[in-house]
Amino acid sequence: MAAGVSQKAAAVTMGDVVPYRSPRAQRDWTSYLGMVIFLGSWAVLFAALFFSYLYLRAHTPVWPPVGSPRLPLTLPALNTGVIVLTSVMMHLGLMAIRRRRNGVGGTLLLGTFALGSLFLVLQTVVWLRMWDQGLVPQAGQYASVFYALTWFHAVHVVVGLVALLALAVKTWLGKYNAAKHGGVLLWTIYWHFVGVVWLLMFLLVYLV
Amino acid sequence: MRTNPKKWLLALIALALGTLFPGMALAAGPIPQETSYGLPRDVSADGHRIDWLIKVTLIFVTILFVIMVIWMLLAVFKHNHKHKAEYDHGDSRHAIMVGMILSAVIFFVVDGNLWVNATRDLSQAFWNFPKAEKHPEAVRIELNAHQWAWDARYAGPDLEFNTADDIVVLNDLVIPIDRPVIVQLVSTDVIHSFSLPNFRVKMDATPGMTNRFWFMASGKRAKPGDVVEIGCTQHCGTNHYKMRGTLKLLDWEAFQLWSKEASASSKATYDEKSPTRNWGWKWKRFPNEPDWYKQQVDAKKRSAALSSPTSGTTAVATTERESN
Amino acid sequence: MSAHAHADSGHGAGHNPFEQHIHPPPTSFFYKYIWSTDHKVIAKQFMWAGLVFLLFGGLLAMMIRWQWAFPGTKVPVLGIFLRRSGGIVTPANYQSIFTMHGLIMIFFAITPLLIGMFGNFCIPLMIGARDMAFPFLNALSFWTFVVSLVLIVTSFFVQLGTAGAGWTTYAPLSTNVGTPGLGQTLVVAAIFVTGAASIMGGINYITTVIRLRAPGMGWFKMPGTVWGLWLTSILNVLFIPVLGAAAILLILDRTAGTQFFIAGAAGVQGGGDPLLYQHLFWIFGHPEVYILILPAWGILVDLVSFFSRKPAYFYKGSVYAMIAVTVLSAIVYGHHMFVTGMNPMLGKTFMLFTLIISVPAEVLFLNWLHTIWKGSIRLTTPMLFALGTIFVFGLGGLTGIFLGTVSTDLYLHDTMFVVGHFHLTMAAAAFLAIFGGIYFWFPKMFGRMMDEKLGKIHFWGSVVFITLVFCGQMLAGYSGQQRRLYDPFQYTYIKHLRSLNWWTSMFAFMLLGFQVPFILNFFKSLIAGETATQNPWQVGTLEWTHASSPPVHHNFDVIPTVYRGPHEYAHPDAQRLLGKDWIGQAEELPSEPHGAAAGGGAADAVAGPVRE
Repeated sequence: MAAGVSQKAAAVTMGDVVPYRSPRAQRDWTSYLGMVIFLGSWAVLFAALFFSYLYLRAHTPVWPPVGSPRLPLTLPALNTGVIVLTSVMMHLGLMAIRRRRNGVGGTLLLGTFALGSLFLVLQTVVWLRMWDQGLVPQAGQYASVFYALTWFHAVHVVVGLVALLALAVKTWLGKYNAAKHGGVLLWTIYWHFVGVVWLLMFLLVYLV
Repeated sequence: MRTNPKKWLLALIALALGTLFPGMALAAGPIPQETSYGLPRDVSADGHRIDWLIKVTLIFVTILFVIMVIWMLLAVFKHNHKHKAEYDHGDSRHAIMVGMILSAVIFFVVDGNLWVNATRDLSQAFWNFPKAEKHPEAVRIELNAHQWAWDARYAGPDLEFNTADDIVVLNDLVIPIDRPVIVQLVSTDVIHSFSLPNFRVKMDATPGMTNRFWFMASGKRAKPGDVVEIGCTQHCGTNHYKMRGTLKLLDWEAFQLWSKEASASSKATYDEKSPTRNWGWKWKRFPNEPDWYKQQVDAKKRSAALSSPTSGTTAVATTERESN
Repeated sequence: MSAHAHADSGHGAGHNPFEQHIHPPPTSFFYKYIWSTDHKVIAKQFMWAGLVFLLFGGLLAMMIRWQWAFPGTKVPVLGIFLRRSGGIVTPANYQSIFTMHGLIMIFFAITPLLIGMFGNFCIPLMIGARDMAFPFLNALSFWTFVVSLVLIVTSFFVQLGTAGAGWTTYAPLSTNVGTPGLGQTLVVAAIFVTGAASIMGGINYITTVIRLRAPGMGWFKMPGTVWGLWLTSILNVLFIPVLGAAAILLILDRTAGTQFFIAGAAGVQGGGDPLLYQHLFWIFGHPEVYILILPAWGILVDLVSFFSRKPAYFYKGSVYAMIAVTVLSAIVYGHHMFVTGMNPMLGKTFMLFTLIISVPAEVLFLNWLHTIWKGSIRLTTPMLFALGTIFVFGLGGLTGIFLGTVSTDLYLHDTMFVVGHFHLTMAAAAFLAIFGGIYFWFPKMFGRMMDEKLGKIHFWGSVVFITLVFCGQMLAGYSGQQRRLYDPFQYTYIKHLRSLNWWTSMFAFMLLGFQVPFILNFFKSLIAGETATQNPWQVGTLEWTHASSPPVHHNFDVIPTVYRGPHEYAHPDAQRLLGKDWIGQAEELPSEPHGAAAGGGAADAVAGPVRE
């Protein structure tokens, strides 16, 4: 991308014709780039958390440590399905707005919000169950990893949910249209990112 | 630019303020008289490797630095505003080649020297644990660092750690000259670092893991009875600065005598229930290494058991040890 | 992200794809000075915050130096802050003082000055942009930074005082095991928050440089300053999250009772691993030292060329060297952990990578030295500071190889040698570059010149004493003095270093004293400095050639088209056709001589008339 811009920049001086892009499209592109850089940065944060988990695990002879309750699989698997569904839904919502169908788009966004909330509810059930089985945060590395990773992910889900609600309302109010929907686009990328993080978390924390 | 008396006044005020603080400091007391500096005394068998490498590299970097400063001074005085600047982007093939060759030469000479000598010293001495572990008379010490003292433990006559006859000392360690000393160390609270400036080595004591390092006092540089200091080099809380210990160097015979006495007196005060006395552990074997310690202990026990009937079996035991 | 939030008002952007939105200047005080989205105002906000905390961190350093010169005696003047102990630094005070000195200097003085101030001020102006790509995010970044400042200041007033686990905040000393109390938690939280602010800034800088360069501003036509800041931003965005992760886990350990970094009793595998913290910290921590020096290198590349009136020597090479350092910085962090019981193979690998970093550093040095050679050097204050930076960075860089080598590091690790070394690179070099930059861009920022005479007094005092202070520390470390000792003279083998420490402390006090001319100069120039022309230094980068001093709200009335690199000095055609020794980046070369009246603001006392 960078190289492309610089070539274009050089092209101007050489008098070549540069295809016209509206300032709006340019700004959307810039915002998109900013969001991608932000998520790249945030991916490193999650990578560092996963690294911490794997480092601790590699230095522990038995995992989960003796005496720790096993994490459930059914609910988190269900949750994985939920989060995949939300991603699909949100993407459909974005497509609908692009096709000037704000009513459908807003409803889809609200649906994403509802399913995202369901994810949080199910996750809370998992937390409470584990808590009852004695897996409190103070219970050792296994509990530390489990809670730190899932809590931190849940914070991102909450942020996403707040945004989704706002986006749905704004879509219904007609603040977005086919030409102008940068906000929806950015939050869709964000939501996909949160979903991918969850898939990794399901794989590394619950499954393996 | 015009000279402005106001500016000079400002400059004077600035200078006066600049000397205010040192002035107050001077009033607080006389200048300390001790003026010597330089590497601390070296009493170790391998510390000279580090000293040599530091000094040689110091010469290299001094040469480079002096060249740089002379270059800058010449440029500033010779190519001042009266000199006509040359239009040169320095990106000709020739210029780039010269720059690359210069960088490569500096890198291969200075860094290359460091790399070659450091890797050699590490594999020959500092990280050469087989050399120390295989030595039949190596002294093994378990160290437990805690806020703010060093607990040390020697195996004692039974050669087993964490038993009643272990020699237990606090802060003041004793080691023999010309025998490798292997230290395994842990910490019970925060990270400490066991530092022996006179041996040029140090190693972190970290909770939850057992670290090791080894060193050897040299009879050429130390004489029996010398005492050197142990320092903590990792910030470990308010009294970090007080975490000081000593290391007494004895010759082999005196050391054995000391061990016997110290073991006896440690045994006398032994309390099997006291956690502060039973913090030791079975001498740790590191991954991918044979258990040299166990082999030596077994060999010694065997030779002790067989030494009374004939003297020939001792020789057999020795060859067995060497073949290991 | 606010870029999309502005309505498309259909201003006269027309067909130029590089034309940018002009935001109307704010009118109310609040939007003008407090919540301003103008990158120039935000730069000044970062500058004020950074300078105040620089002084704060400096005064903390003076307390440390006092303690080493006169252990356990009453601290003059600053003793009023130690009322509870009667003006004496206690061991508990001492550990908080050196901890906060380090943290404040790194995160709240150098970072806001070098990256916050120069990044915000220089990037848009130097690449020909009207503002940052995300002005709202930019303001948010500053105010997030302010939140972290509040947390830091609050930590001083809670029970048990502020943090005391060293700036590296090594666990388990930084967990409740070693430093109970709210102060340490607040400080770790402050680091997380300031990290978030840095990431926001980083996203902004990276995007701005990619998207908002003026037409013709190709990558290698960007000034070195922009390159340095851009690469720093990349490191910021990539590695501050790792610190963020460490901070989150540490806070959880402290507040929620998790066990990431707390380990069990002697020889027993307990919960958590203190080494994990060190890995996380240094994965961030080593790039961090380059985060703090890359902008300074970039500024050096430019200043050295500007005031030698000569093109930057092998400019592409300097840029590639900076890129190489950026890449290498990510894979050398292990040299901070040589004595943690590291795997020997790993240790040797890290040593090799560390030594390889000296190659790009050599290229940079050779290029700077070649740039001043055969130049026409103008020893203005900014140039003096640039040369001083090369001098101290040379010292700091050369002494680094002792610490990157495992065997020599066995002896020097955690001694005052390390302290002297990293102060020469991170403190001395960074601050001299910062001061050079302030003297250089002050006219553009405030429209007034700084006083050259006071500037030169400031320079000579600073460079002489900063060198003496940190060389004194290195000598103490070479003689065996460990770092972070409340009273080093508890140890008999370093008792004889008393006078060395005494002198080093004196030099440190003098160094502080010589900042007084700067403070005087700064305020005097701010209020009554000589009015600056648009281009007082006669240099060719866009902020000097196309923006007024100080620039208008939207920087450029027309975004200039760039034709050439930033370092076109002593160009023979310029001499012949324009009658001056430089060509602006966006200046068209006429086909025939222009006569004597060429060049805006050519009458200039500093650069002097150009001699044939």
